[in-house]
Amino acid sequence: MVQTQRATGHYLNQTLRTLLLYTVMILGLFIFCVPVYYMITTSVKAESEVVAIPIHWLPHEFQPQNYPEAFQTAPFSLYFYNSLVVAIAVVASTLIFSALAGYGFAKFSFPGKALCFLLVLSTMMIPFQILLIPLYVLVHGMGWTNNYAGLIIPGALSAFGVFLMRQFCLTLPDELLDAARIDGAGELGIFWRIVLPLLKPPLASLAIITFLGSWNNFLWPLIVVNKGHLFTLPVGMTVFTQPMRAPYWTYIMAVSTVATLPVVIVFLALQKYFIQGVVLSGMKG
Amino acid sequence: MTGQQLSINPNSQARRSSTGLGVRFRRNLIFRRSIYGILFVAPAMLFFLIFSLYPMVNGFYMSLTEYTLLRPPVWIGFGNYTDLLENKEFLNGLWVTFVFVLGTTIPKWILSLGLALLFVQAFWGREFFKVLYFTPTLLSGVVVSLVWKLIFHANGLATALIGPYTGKAEIFWLASSALTPLALIMVDNWAGIPFFMIVWIAGLVGIPKEFYEAALIDGAGRWQAFRHVTLPLLRPTTLFVVVVSTIGALQAFSLQFIMTRGGPSNVTTTVALLVYKYGFEYFKMGVAAAMSVIMFLAIIAITILQIRSMRSEETSYT
Repeated sequence: MVQTQRATGHYLNQTLRTLLLYTVMILGLFIFCVPVYYMITTSVKAESEVVAIPIHWLPHEFQPQNYPEAFQTAPFSLYFYNSLVVAIAVVASTLIFSALAGYGFAKFSFPGKALCFLLVLSTMMIPFQILLIPLYVLVHGMGWTNNYAGLIIPGALSAFGVFLMRQFCLTLPDELLDAARIDGAGELGIFWRIVLPLLKPPLASLAIITFLGSWNNFLWPLIVVNKGHLFTLPVGMTVFTQPMRAPYWTYIMAVSTVATLPVVIVFLALQKYFIQGVVLSGMKG
Repeated sequence: MTGQQLSINPNSQARRSSTGLGVRFRRNLIFRRSIYGILFVAPAMLFFLIFSLYPMVNGFYMSLTEYTLLRPPVWIGFGNYTDLLENKEFLNGLWVTFVFVLGTTIPKWILSLGLALLFVQAFWGREFFKVLYFTPTLLSGVVVSLVWKLIFHANGLATALIGPYTGKAEIFWLASSALTPLALIMVDNWAGIPFFMIVWIAGLVGIPKEFYEAALIDGAGRWQAFRHVTLPLLRPTTLFVVVVSTIGALQAFSLQFIMTRGGPSNVTTTVALLVYKYGFEYFKMGVAAAMSVIMFLAIIAITILQIRSMRSEETSYT
């Protein structure tokens, strides 16, 4: 008798718990996804529907033409292109130089190596906050403001990338490299043909982090460029919301959706590396 | 040092023959290897020297000068710092930043850990929920700010959802000195919780099941197991979450810049925003540099404090 009561009690408890779990899950789903849903639906609404009360959960007038129209009100395809060029250049240079340096730190000995590595580690700890002003002054002095160079070069390498590559290179067996040396391979050849292919997984994560960092970067392009034709997408988007302009929310949301698209594509294509990369990237702080 | 690096044959050959030729061959090889090491590392080191170390040192120097980019910097000692101590805008900025950091760290830690604990259980649809919870992480800071600016429009989504309960048709979320800081804190939590949730999940998955089984055998309840098994073993993850979220909050910029421009009446003007204003609107590079130095020192002090408090907890557990 007591036994069965207990069992039903346990069963009820379990049901209650499951119910609670799914309540929380669905509430969370609502909180985390509705803003994104709202962004996408607003992008195809008529401007007059945007702040309608009660809310239009689905557009009453479906207007996909907001997209081409938004891209005509400002040169967003140019901004998109600028963002892409900057991101690709930054990713390429970060991958190459991080891998080179990481390999050098892991597999070679030379005078001053410990000191150099200490410099890399401490660079990793420097918050961008303190670099902002002096870095701008430096770039300004070099004549790189309003220039692709100013957008690309200061971000062309990350200490975190070097650190990450070094950690992975440490795990490569020395025997493998020595065997290649005996076979007469040059050091550059070894790096290019043996080390780089083995570094693919961490390079993929690093590429994703770096791409995201560059694609989403706002503060640096905002200050280093003030000529419209060099705006990156995030900077170009904020022009829409400047105080003197009446915001066209449907256009803003359309461009926001387009700006998010490359990230979604990378996420769907490389989900495993993506999450690894995002988790790793926190270490940059 | 070199023995480990040159583990194979050249050494053994040199040792065996021990002729002048072998030694020279070996030395030559070591020399060549270190040259390659230097060549591999050099581009990166040069880059860090020019674009990290030099600007940092120069930032400290600039903070001690009056500098407008037009004329060379003029040394004024600690003038910028003493001025800042009396600068109401800056003192207000420190307070605003403090409140923002508080509001976007502690709730973030608790809520993201809570969600992670739910997600390490097995239940139907878990992966589906997890992937969708991740969506805010895919948006850039600018997009997050723009979307939420629309949601917090006086007649926007937030008002439509909450208005009926308060009987208001219009709520000025981003134009009220009471509501606006809270609104920004909420948005930052929204954007940050999924990321930290994933970090916690990675940490939780790394704890071996045997530990829980042992705790259960010892008669520990759920809470006790969490307190005495999960939390201590999660310490590296905790440190990571705490430090990264705090540093991130201290440097937050796009949210304030895009959603409110620091307003209304400076209730969301953080120090990061002031650095931008003084540097690139007033062109007072020296003052802006001094502010960033203060922020930098604050970041270092807080990080050290957090690491040390974690350490002392460590000793109390074991």
